[in-house]
Amino acid sequence: MLELKRALDAKGHCLLEMPSGTGKTTTLLSLIVAYMKAHPLDLTKLVYCSRTVPEIEKVMEELRKLMNYYEKEMGMEQNILGLALSSRKNLCINPSVSKEREGKVVDGRCYSLTASFVRARHAADDAVPICEFYEGFDAHGKEFPLPPGVYNLDDLKEYGQMKRWCPYFLARHTITHANIVVYSYHYLLDPKIAEVVSKEISKTSVVVFDEAHNIDNVCIDSMSVKITKRLLDKCSNSITILETTISNMKENDSKRLEKEYKRLVEGLRDATIARETDMALVNPVLPSEILEEAVPGTIRTAEHFVAFLKRVVEYIKTRLRVQHVVQESPAGFLRDIHTKVCIDRKPLRFSAERLASLIRTLEISDLTDFSPLVTVSHFATLVSTYTKGFTIIIEPFEDRAPTVSNPILYFSCLDSSIAIKPVFNRFQTVVITSGTLSPLDMYPKILDFHPVIMTSFTMTLARPCILPMIVSKGNDQVAMSSRYETREDTAVIRNYGNLLVEVAAAVPDGIVCFFTSYLYLETIVSSWYDQGIIDQLQRHKLLFIETQDAAETSLALINYIKACDNGRGAVLLSVARGKVSEGIDFDHHLGRAVLMFGIPYVYTQSRILRARLEYLRDQFQIKENDFLTFDAMRHAAQCLGRCMRGKTDYGIMILADKRFSRADKRSKLPKWIQEHLKDTNCNLSTEECVQICKRWLRQMAQPFSREDQLGISLLTLEQLQSEEMQKKIQQRAQGV
Amino acid sequence: MADEDETKEYRWESGYEKTWEAIKEDDDGLLESNVADLVARAKRKRAALKDTGAIQLGMMRHLFVVVDASACMFLQDLKPTRFLCVLKLLEVFVHEFFDLNPISQLGILTTKMKRSEQITVLAGNQKKHIEALQQLKDLSCEGEPSLQNSLERAMNGLKNMPAYSSREILVLFGSLTTCDPGDIQKTIKSLKDNNIRVSIIGLAAEVRICQEIAKKTGGTYNVLIDDHHLKELILNQVQPPAVAGSMEASLVKMGFPGGSPIVNDGTSDSSADHAPAYCLCHIESETSSLMGPNGYNCPQCGSRYCELPVECKQCGLTLVSAPHLARSYHHLFPIKPFIERAQVRETTHCFACAKLFVEAETNVYECENCNQIVCLDCDLFIRETLHTCPGCASDPVTAQMKTN
Repeated sequence: MLELKRALDAKGHCLLEMPSGTGKTTTLLSLIVAYMKAHPLDLTKLVYCSRTVPEIEKVMEELRKLMNYYEKEMGMEQNILGLALSSRKNLCINPSVSKEREGKVVDGRCYSLTASFVRARHAADDAVPICEFYEGFDAHGKEFPLPPGVYNLDDLKEYGQMKRWCPYFLARHTITHANIVVYSYHYLLDPKIAEVVSKEISKTSVVVFDEAHNIDNVCIDSMSVKITKRLLDKCSNSITILETTISNMKENDSKRLEKEYKRLVEGLRDATIARETDMALVNPVLPSEILEEAVPGTIRTAEHFVAFLKRVVEYIKTRLRVQHVVQESPAGFLRDIHTKVCIDRKPLRFSAERLASLIRTLEISDLTDFSPLVTVSHFATLVSTYTKGFTIIIEPFEDRAPTVSNPILYFSCLDSSIAIKPVFNRFQTVVITSGTLSPLDMYPKILDFHPVIMTSFTMTLARPCILPMIVSKGNDQVAMSSRYETREDTAVIRNYGNLLVEVAAAVPDGIVCFFTSYLYLETIVSSWYDQGIIDQLQRHKLLFIETQDAAETSLALINYIKACDNGRGAVLLSVARGKVSEGIDFDHHLGRAVLMFGIPYVYTQSRILRARLEYLRDQFQIKENDFLTFDAMRHAAQCLGRCMRGKTDYGIMILADKRFSRADKRSKLPKWIQEHLKDTNCNLSTEECVQICKRWLRQMAQPFSREDQLGISLLTLEQLQSEEMQKKIQQRAQGV
Repeated sequence: MADEDETKEYRWESGYEKTWEAIKEDDDGLLESNVADLVARAKRKRAALKDTGAIQLGMMRHLFVVVDASACMFLQDLKPTRFLCVLKLLEVFVHEFFDLNPISQLGILTTKMKRSEQITVLAGNQKKHIEALQQLKDLSCEGEPSLQNSLERAMNGLKNMPAYSSREILVLFGSLTTCDPGDIQKTIKSLKDNNIRVSIIGLAAEVRICQEIAKKTGGTYNVLIDDHHLKELILNQVQPPAVAGSMEASLVKMGFPGGSPIVNDGTSDSSADHAPAYCLCHIESETSSLMGPNGYNCPQCGSRYCELPVECKQCGLTLVSAPHLARSYHHLFPIKPFIERAQVRETTHCFACAKLFVEAETNVYECENCNQIVCLDCDLFIRETLHTCPGCASDPVTAQMKTN
């Protein structure tokens, strides 16, 4: 809290690592809200970015508790408006639209009901369907702001139902004057969406990125484009549609096209006006120079533009027809496209904007079909705008299946700071926090910012409720490691299996295991099957496996939870970096132990990764190995952190790889894990590990009441005010 | 392991302890007072566990003991094996149980191979149970246990017991998994509906479902640390639990057989009472022999028994003697815990044992009613064994009041 306050005072950015379940969210919320109350001029808004919808809901719950407390203590209504925002899919209440499952389809359907020309058409002809909720909102909702309070997604929906207003547009409208906004990363980081949603957020805001250990990847993903052959085929289809629509329109209503042409001549002025006031977030996809210029003549008319697009698509198609891997810089790509099909850099830069304008003009209401084309136009714009920090890789086939031709063009962002730079520049304080951010000094480097505060907190605990151990060898003294040279070794696989069986026999309820990759998981499980280890395992617990199929995995998860609840016990085999390791918590009995088989290095043969490593080395002076270890350890820590969700929880963390005990790996674990990782537990064999587990589990099973925590990890009001405690706090404040 | 004087466990078996850190020097640089303090604290802790917060305790208990006999009971973390250790402690438990709850009944179940087996039916005869337990030692432990099956079975046995008795199940659970045929939540619910309390003692680690069962049915869930702790945990179950609210009070018919083998004085129907007869407790065994005139006759049907308390095999009457009831009686009115206070100058010796207080002993204990001071050892003795305060009992006024 102290650190956060300093950062707020300094109006700088900060980086905080706090173990999960220790009240991270509450701390952040309560301090920032209090700060907002105390300095209403310096700090007007809190933007809280989280990763998934359930996490957003959790934040809203915390906020509601906080507000209730304020109300109770101050005795009056609080004039604070907090709301959550999510996609149309989660907020739509129109019965015909919301029944759709896929987010994109919902967006498309919504657009087809609410676009301005559809509504204009509706005014003329009642048969054209529109969304009554949007109409309701448009007619009344804009004038009446949402009454103060805390609204999560369901509350918004309910409120929308009651007033018959569209909750999605209501929420989007309300963002501008709400005090606290909770939404997903993408609304701020992904330039395409940020443009629409977040551009009106004022400068004096605090932005909090929660669970931000992967923030660099999110940044990179939001700026990268992947083009496959199928996507290009779809593009050709949509171009044909465009052509027919244009020719139709020409016959019927050529005036509209003319009007558009004129507007384009004048340039994208209106966008510039919006930006002048510094109200909008600078869109990195659309750099400001473009706005001053007029759209180049070659693509001004609709037919020309369509022809232009066709050429681009055809060009990319020819590029995909390669037999070997090609890697080139955006500049090289531009030169090539210029010589081969005579396309200049300038029109390419405008293609995204131009396409949007065209679609608007053509009154195409179903946007879903055009998403491939939009992707390509984004690619064109990006490739012509940025020459640094990006690379183009064309792979004719996947590495795993070299015989199957499946050409993919990766336009990959190498520099994670590009996407996040506007956020750092614009907002006075950006807080990046997560349970696992170690090593902290890496983040400022790869995100290219200068934090004023960078701290890792540990937990104050009344009992040692995590037990991290490094198991380096099996009972036969063969070293355990997922190193490339030894990973196929049957002795290693057998030792891993024995470790799991023994742990499963000693640990109650749920156990989660993480492997380094799906491939490795599959090979290990199949050889365990041959060795009879699976049979042994199933005597103790049921076995579930995460697969790449999301539906299958969620089914496995449901049954896993059921098995744990019923006391049968279960083992979940999953993959670091997979869905399970990122979003799902295994609190209390669901995860009594986490096993990490091997160090989860990324697939180092990947060309995108190699390009990124090279870039990092050249630009930021980060050694390849450092970055790889950093990345592996943060994922390992992320996996380990899954089992620990609060102070009453307890869990075993087993790192099963010889290499973990090396200082360079160990020191990269978060401080709150390192603190419990004693030297004696660093080089264990399977048997020793199980012995320690057993004893520790018995200790943990002893009744643990609130009284035990009081005075150590929980303080009553009296204790907090006691002199001794005050002194301690003072000391700490000065010490830091 | 049941012996008190046996050492805890071998040093190489136990964890790494920093024994020197627990000892600190006092102001004079001496350790003695500290050691005494440590000992006293440990003793006191034991006493404090038996908290007398309960208002009404069940005098009549029906208890099923479920013993896990699955493969994991062969593990040797309790010596010689978990199973043998548990059985041995259970013998002690059965003995203590009937000693403290003479009019209660007990039954034993085991669970293995996903099934549950009945070893003894609910009965008040402790010899039979102990015999059964001794036979169990040769049983092989295999397969997985099934909590649900054993709970269902115990429930069926307990369901028809009268509503005024407390129905309990004690599970000694070594496994970390349970293999159940159906939804255990339903079983938990019907246990609750039937007002059955399930207490579980885990032998390995905290299992969520056990925790849940115990919590929902109002029982306790504990996990042992070592065999001494296990003994403590099992013996804690000897004390009758506080009565759940919904238990009804009612009159129970009991028989008090004429006990003493007095020579015929003509007051009772003497010739039938004291004629040699087979006793019904041993009539089924091979070695049964004609008993002499000593024994207890059921006042209702006249069957002969050699031991009390017992339930009459002929007419089902519960046969007890007055001292038995009196022993159960103290559960209803437990003595209040003594107050711990610093040693005062005036009292130089313990009221109960007349021991002189030495300097090292800083704390003494005072009865709330009679204000007599006793020493720590006497305090524990009074609480655990005597169940009555010598001060109050020797004071004619308070003693009178109590009997009235």
